[in-house]
Amino acid sequence: MLTKKGKYGLKALVHLAHLPVGQLAFVGDIAAGNNIPKKFLDAILGELRNAGFVHSRKGKEGGYRLARPAEEIKVGHVVRVLDGPLAPIPCASRTQYQRCEDCNEATCQVRHLMLEVRQAIAEVLDQRSLAEMRDIGLDDLAVARNINDLPVAAKIQA
Amino acid sequence: MTTGRANSIIPNSIIIVGGGASGVVLAAHLLKSPNPDLRVALIEKRPHFGQGMAYSTLLSAHVLNVNAAGMSAYADDPGNFARWLLERGLANPDQGPFYAPRSLYARYLKELLDELEARERETGRLRLIREESLSISPTASGVEVALANGTSVVAHLAVLATGHDEQPGAGQGHAIRMGTEADTALDADARVLVLGTGLSMVDAFLSLEQRGHKGEIIAVSRRGLLPSPHRKGNPIKLDVADIPLGTQLSYFVGWFRDLIRENQRAGIDWRDVVDGLRPFNQKIWQNWPSSAKRRFVEHTKAWWDIHRHRLAPQVHARVTEAVQSGRIRPVAGRVVGIEAGDQFTVQVQSRHTQALETLEVARLYDCTGIARDISTTSNSVVRSLVERGLARPDPLRLGLDVSANCEIIGSDGSVSAKILAVGPLTRGTFFEIDAIPDIRVQCARLSKQLLG
Repeated sequence: MLTKKGKYGLKALVHLAHLPVGQLAFVGDIAAGNNIPKKFLDAILGELRNAGFVHSRKGKEGGYRLARPAEEIKVGHVVRVLDGPLAPIPCASRTQYQRCEDCNEATCQVRHLMLEVRQAIAEVLDQRSLAEMRDIGLDDLAVARNINDLPVAAKIQA
Repeated sequence: MTTGRANSIIPNSIIIVGGGASGVVLAAHLLKSPNPDLRVALIEKRPHFGQGMAYSTLLSAHVLNVNAAGMSAYADDPGNFARWLLERGLANPDQGPFYAPRSLYARYLKELLDELEARERETGRLRLIREESLSISPTASGVEVALANGTSVVAHLAVLATGHDEQPGAGQGHAIRMGTEADTALDADARVLVLGTGLSMVDAFLSLEQRGHKGEIIAVSRRGLLPSPHRKGNPIKLDVADIPLGTQLSYFVGWFRDLIRENQRAGIDWRDVVDGLRPFNQKIWQNWPSSAKRRFVEHTKAWWDIHRHRLAPQVHARVTEAVQSGRIRPVAGRVVGIEAGDQFTVQVQSRHTQALETLEVARLYDCTGIARDISTTSNSVVRSLVERGLARPDPLRLGLDVSANCEIIGSDGSVSAKILAVGPLTRGTFFEIDAIPDIRVQCARLSKQLLG
């Protein structure tokens, strides 16, 4: 499950991926530009730095930048660092296993299927780089918006 | 003949340069193809196929470092070697993990190849060539391999399976390899120095014991770490979704240490955690940024190796006893000077105290292991490919730079469609590709890739 932390972290990284190589961004700007609470973002960027995805510089001219080209950073790798093992529900993990109080994991068919689902999640997220996510065209987004807007547009025409 | 189109995609003739363990395993996988037009030529300069460096030892104390259950030559038939042992009464069905002598493994590969040869005699699909290969050159329609006897062999493509280097790496000074011509008779009480404290050092110790040598063996490596023993266990189950990929090294090491600690708290042996990670080792390596790979090789690999590449319990017991009795003295430090005279006067600087110790030894053995800078290789085929820019070392110089499909990469970054590599030569891309359980999977994949 992608938590808010994971989502904010990915948004912050996409923000950094838009910058020219070597340029740093202030935490305040990333927070404001993406609607992320600044304190939370500080913690998230700290974790991303520990994992080696971003570099930081302290001081007045300080800020964050990607530690590697956006093409080399995979979305799934970032999500594992922020949210732990990829898992659609907490019991579908081998290392951070959290038992459900209301069922028996040995016989729970839901868990068995979800263990399969996590492989599929890994396959998708480990194939996609930050650069690919950044470049998901605004065209695609526009299509999505048009579909949403369709009934409204139809009404106006009517 | 098949249709023209299929013919242009599927190569019919393949030369395997190197008939050691990886070459034989690859040939066995290729010949599983039903294609009647397939031609496989296996070239080996030694008199025997299937032995290479690892399995040419005749010493019964030199056992496999992997349990027989893991040593099948076939990726899709993991029990093949264990069955072979049982059928010949060479192992006992209820004896538990069995670490077979390496010479038995050589015999297994030889019989396997003999069977293939007999089976393919009618078809003419397998040709064994006992000759040294000198070089490989791409031609308009394929490749040509020049042999030391002045003739050459042509095919659509060639696969390098030249394995480990036979000569010690540069800078080992007066150190020699055990069992080579320079390794002449020694006084039984002579003190010797071994460069390295890993599995090769243990092999050297066992050989010296066998020869009746009684003197002190000083084993020097940067950390002075000795390999751990195997223990029967059950690897923990992990999924790729559990494993942090693409992080810097310190993050990964922190995660892995925590994982071991948590499992130990639950009563699980650390070996089961190390072995549980094995199916993902190549993936972990390939996803690391180059900085993590370099740091791992420089700082973490020695620690990893002693936990990952372990000793058969009975061998570990002999080594432990030898250390306790003072016969083997492991030293964490480095050799800073060697003077040759009647004896060698060697200066060793301790890692921990920086103190210098001067030692008189009768011989120096190079047991620094199988990894060395590929650009200084003693193998003429590999060297000539690098010299002509047809191949290049990988960034860490562990082997040749190859694509994920085992194709060699030239000095200009171009990927060869005609020259490929398997086994230890591909270490830079696959990292853990020294052992049969990994090599057979690579060979199975490559066969499928080449022959469909």
